[in-house]
Amino acid sequence: MTTQPAVQISGVHKRFSGRTRRSPARVALDGFDLTVRPGEFLCLLGPSGCGKSTLLNMLAGFSLPDEGSVLVDGEPVTGPGPDRGVLFQTPMLFPWLTTRDNVLYGPRARHRLDAQARERADALLASVGLADSADAFPHQLSGGMRHRAAFARVLVNRPRLLLMDEPFGALDAISRVAMQRFLLELWERDRITIVFVTHDVEEAALLGDRVCVMTGSPGRTRALIDIDLPRPRRLQDTETLEFVRLKRRIREALEAEAA
Amino acid sequence: MTTQLDAPDRFLVGSHAGEPSDAARPARVVPWRRLGYGLLGVVLAAALWELVAAILDDPVTLPSVQATVHTFREYLSTSYPAGGRTLFGHAMVSAARILAGWTAGVVAGIVIGGVMASLRPVRFLLDPLIEITRPLPPLAFIPLFIVWFGIGELPKFLLILVGVVPIMIIATVSALDTVPTELIQAGRSLGASPVWALVTVRLRAALPPIITGMRIAMGGAWTSIVAVELIAATSGLGYLINNAGVNLQTPLVISGILAISVLGIVFDGLLRLLHRLADPASR
Ligand SMILES: Nc1ncnc2c1ncn2[C@@H]1O[C@H](COP(=O)(O)OP(=O)(O)OP(=O)(O)O)[C@@H](O)[C@H]1O
Ligand SMILES: [Mg+2]
Repeated sequence: MTTQPAVQISGVHKRFSGRTRRSPARVALDGFDLTVRPGEFLCLLGPSGCGKSTLLNMLAGFSLPDEGSVLVDGEPVTGPGPDRGVLFQTPMLFPWLTTRDNVLYGPRARHRLDAQARERADALLASVGLADSADAFPHQLSGGMRHRAAFARVLVNRPRLLLMDEPFGALDAISRVAMQRFLLELWERDRITIVFVTHDVEEAALLGDRVCVMTGSPGRTRALIDIDLPRPRRLQDTETLEFVRLKRRIREALEAEAA
Repeated sequence: MTTQLDAPDRFLVGSHAGEPSDAARPARVVPWRRLGYGLLGVVLAAALWELVAAILDDPVTLPSVQATVHTFREYLSTSYPAGGRTLFGHAMVSAARILAGWTAGVVAGIVIGGVMASLRPVRFLLDPLIEITRPLPPLAFIPLFIVWFGIGELPKFLLILVGVVPIMIIATVSALDTVPTELIQAGRSLGASPVWALVTVRLRAALPPIITGMRIAMGGAWTSIVAVELIAATSGLGYLINNAGVNLQTPLVISGILAISVLGIVFDGLLRLLHRLADPASR
């Protein structure tokens, strides 16, 4: 059996109709191609408005491409589903549910709420360091804790693919570093395929196996840069010469676009 | 009247912030002190009333606190007018009218608002109608409703609807509109079917501001029912107040007002409790 790509995006076009009839339609993506290998950590980097969120929304199944195909594990995406976990820029926890019930939302919605699911939820809460906050409500958690709760809520579904849209963009520098470390550990352990959107060159180089640099709107792939730094990675790695060189390559790809 | 009708939007914007409101915290820390101050305010007002009553020394203009309390207790079990209902009975009649009209109005408002928030054509169709009727005080309809429906229960029920339904429609539409799309998407991508996400995320997230709308609508319902009872009724607190006033029975007038206040506090207290249950951040 040949290994099937975890994600295969080919020739995707996406337009948004203008506000009025006369204003032209906005082309968000114009023939976008991308292949993600199973277990790969792929970072999407590009200027604002180049269509990163649009792309992620299509992977999540929140919207469909006008043309082209979006395949996850060889099957076309037709709508949202628990096999693809989505983490938004803000944690989007349900404020009326306790942390544990937030995590159990997925099993409950899929009518799979049994003792096993409860055990798994508690184990996940413990693994993200929220065992003591299982009965707290989201408004009682800190920003970083809410993000970790959102992780647990997604992971309880055992997704094959994690989609993250600038998930740490709203966090302060210290929490962000903590979340990056947490994400790296999680990925080292489970090797879930991840598509991670970011604005931050350093974050992309630290986390990704590959960085896909996109052109400005309409979005296309500008460059695909392999990050061949050894794993597991640590924050200290950001000070190595190799890391700095990679960052420069990414930045050059981004700036070549601006010119 | 207008201020009351304008209130929903203002109220909703504030309450729907939904964030862990820091303003709500201190209230929980010092509930006893807050309660103490509140009681002190009531006692001071009563003392002022007693003082003014003593100075005026005219029970028709202003009876003393004791005289009023005495009348209140007496008429809880005494019919007024003779052969009619007791103060308690009148209060129950008004409460029943309120509950019937308000419940029907709340249900109708939530259903209409829910459809408007989901279907654009319906929204475009009804928006102007609501904008036209919103500034109208329900009381302006009393003469019309009496001409059309007489002085039975129907005009009273309809008048409460006129007060409640627009408030509930506006509260529901704005509550549903402000639920972030991403929250619904989060539910869907966790495995919820569209219907499940609609019920357990969209409607659920809109619940606290809708309950706030229900509280405001309750105030509107009381205004409507008392007004219509003043004019066209043979029972209810409005009728009792009006009748006692005509007969210069001031202590009974004030007793009727106090009864409205008590019922209002009870209903609002229940709704506040409901709001707390629905919104953990406000506990
Ligand atoms: N719902 C929409 N209606 C109209 N235009 C849209 C819509 N969503 C996105 N667009 C347009 O599509 C383009 C791509 O948007 P998208 O949100 O995907 O960008 P992005 O790369 O995520 O940007 P950012 O980094 O700022 O989040 C933009 O030009 C945007 O204006
Ligand atoms: Mg975006």
